[in-house]
Amino acid sequence: MPKIWILRGLKKGILTTAYPKSQPTSEEVPTRSLPPRPTDAADWPAGERGCPTGAIDSGDKKVDLGRCVYCRFCSSAGFAFEDGFGSRAGAMQASLTGNCATGTRHIFGRSFHVMMIDVGSCNACNLEVLNLSNPYYDLSRMGIAFTNSPKHADALIVVGALNQAMVDVLRRTYESMPEPKLVLSVGACAISGGIFRGAEGFVSPAGDAIPVDVVVPGCPPSPVQILEGLLLAAGRLKEEGVRR
Amino acid sequence: MSRGSETLNGGGVERRNLESLGEKMQLSSVFQAGGLNYALISDMETNKTIISELPPTLSEEFGALLRGSGAEPGSPLVLEAGGRVEGYGVFEFSYGPTSWGVPEAGAFSLMTYGERILKVVPRLNFKKRGVERAVLGLTPEDALLFVERSAGNFSAAYSTCFATAVEDALGLGVPSEARWTRAVALELERIYNHLYVFGRLAEAASQNIAATQTHALRERVLRLNSRHFGHRYLFGINSIGGVRRGLPKDERSALTTEVRLVAREFSELVQYFLSSRIFLDRLQGTAKLTRKDAFGLGTVGPSARGSGVQWDDRLTFPLEPYEDIYVNLETEDGEDTMARTMVRVREVESSSIALRELLDRMPSDGTKSGPDRRRADGLGAGFSFCRVESPSGDLIQVVQLDGGGRVSGLHVRPPSLVNWLPFARSLEGTVFTDFQFAFESFGLSFADSDR
Ligand code: SF4
Ligand code: SF4
Repeated sequence: MPKIWILRGLKKGILTTAYPKSQPTSEEVPTRSLPPRPTDAADWPAGERGCPTGAIDSGDKKVDLGRCVYCRFCSSAGFAFEDGFGSRAGAMQASLTGNCATGTRHIFGRSFHVMMIDVGSCNACNLEVLNLSNPYYDLSRMGIAFTNSPKHADALIVVGALNQAMVDVLRRTYESMPEPKLVLSVGACAISGGIFRGAEGFVSPAGDAIPVDVVVPGCPPSPVQILEGLLLAAGRLKEEGVRR
Repeated sequence: MSRGSETLNGGGVERRNLESLGEKMQLSSVFQAGGLNYALISDMETNKTIISELPPTLSEEFGALLRGSGAEPGSPLVLEAGGRVEGYGVFEFSYGPTSWGVPEAGAFSLMTYGERILKVVPRLNFKKRGVERAVLGLTPEDALLFVERSAGNFSAAYSTCFATAVEDALGLGVPSEARWTRAVALELERIYNHLYVFGRLAEAASQNIAATQTHALRERVLRLNSRHFGHRYLFGINSIGGVRRGLPKDERSALTTEVRLVAREFSELVQYFLSSRIFLDRLQGTAKLTRKDAFGLGTVGPSARGSGVQWDDRLTFPLEPYEDIYVNLETEDGEDTMARTMVRVREVESSSIALRELLDRMPSDGTKSGPDRRRADGLGAGFSFCRVESPSGDLIQVVQLDGGGRVSGLHVRPPSLVNWLPFARSLEGTVFTDFQFAFESFGLSFADSDR
């Protein structure tokens, strides 16, 4: 009987993304994961309605992607969103924070264990992280595996707006990871509080409680964008562009 | 004064004050508005929603529910019903809030004497962000951003529920096309959540091929969401008075075809795996919830329907377009994990059929209401509410707007919140290995119950 599954597999062909060997497709980085880009016509700060998360800094004329929830409210104020393929590389937006020592990253070779901790998310970020193990992204082909124990984890993915009830749990989890260790803040909530920045339940960005090495903006970031963050953390990606 | 949703659901709402709950009545929620306490009651006999001032007799279990809806961020919520379990060798075992089979922050205390679970006490609010208070003073349009992020995987249900309640309060005429488009999103959301539950159950039973294949099908639905609505989790689809993007005619047939394919492949998969004894043995008879308990504890959604409770907001509180299209009420009598799973399996099929009808017959009268249709006379003078059948069951929101049209009150009664106690009850007397199956089959989300 298992035969039919092999046949089914053949019939479907290869589902798995070609990333990071080549640029991800528009299916893989959906339009709503593309960041706002100020144009010459942009109205600072974001028209009369403003930006609901304060991501638009009219002083420095910059958009802080760590705060952006990709709501597109600013599109009416002259901020552009690329819907087409154009600059797919521009969709890849994970970045290193000042904490990350390049030397550390190269220690992680082909075996990289990752633990996810939720500190107050809406569940969408959790699901996108878990989706990395479905056949479309197939994390294991890159030697990356999820673990449930901080003792086995090389990297910690933090999702959600840090809640008072989770501050100690987050710290203790981080402390019980062996050195060297890396932390990724995934999603606007973990990076800055996102939409919940002013909500009562939110305490601080995850980076204020433990040192964060890589941030992956998005609300939620799509799985390939999270994958990019992981490869960047593991030192398997040049700072920009696509490479193995 | 309440507007309710009387105009939308063909008389599904009644306003009358009850002294006590009738035998076939379920207390669905309790909320405050204008200094009064109200009860929202589901009458299973007439299928009506009754809004009454709070009747004096409330069962003990609901005490926990009420405390839950008023809980503040930072205060833990312990959902304990009944007395403590004591006896020789009984000890308490805690689970969570991290490092276990659930990818969310939440915890449980399990009372056991070693092998069998005597009692489960869910501990919530590890991720309470305080959505209901965060939206106070905001325009409804800005509040939507918070509401749809209460529970990311139920976001279409959340935003549709909120937008509909606000539109009612404002007396906004919303074009049919917008309402039908919302229903398309609701059904897509139902399908991918049901696929998630099935995939997780397959994982729990170590049926890795089934799990992988189901998660692959779910990814296809997420990509359909992204292609047609712009967001994998359907954020930002709604605005007050309509939807932010309609479905052009040429997209509709493509979407119908894709959904049919996903549903067909899923049913093949289910057929194959339900012929596997290993899988069946893990689901059948596991974590039973009797019909009496399901009703008495206020269970909602597929979990209630798996125990024979006949309630589905799409039929009992039908917003447009649900009066016009055919939706089957899927129930099972098995009262176990298998029954809850079969309800979800069949709902994937019936949702795909409903989707075809929705996309086929969608009216073309626009996707946004004109600003001229806005009436402000009802503002500041009461509340309006809405119920939407989310993938895990009945979601209730009660909205109040001030004279300037800003949000002055929001009460959310999430489906997961009322399903914790039934889940806990279903595990009493079972063994530890049943835990994961019960948890997944109830489709519980901490983000949803904590919000
Ligand atoms: S997309 Fe939304 S959150 Fe991001 S910069 Fe624009 S208005 Fe602000
Ligand atoms: S960043 Fe967005 S998607 Fe992620 S947890 Fe926060 S609200 Fe949800």
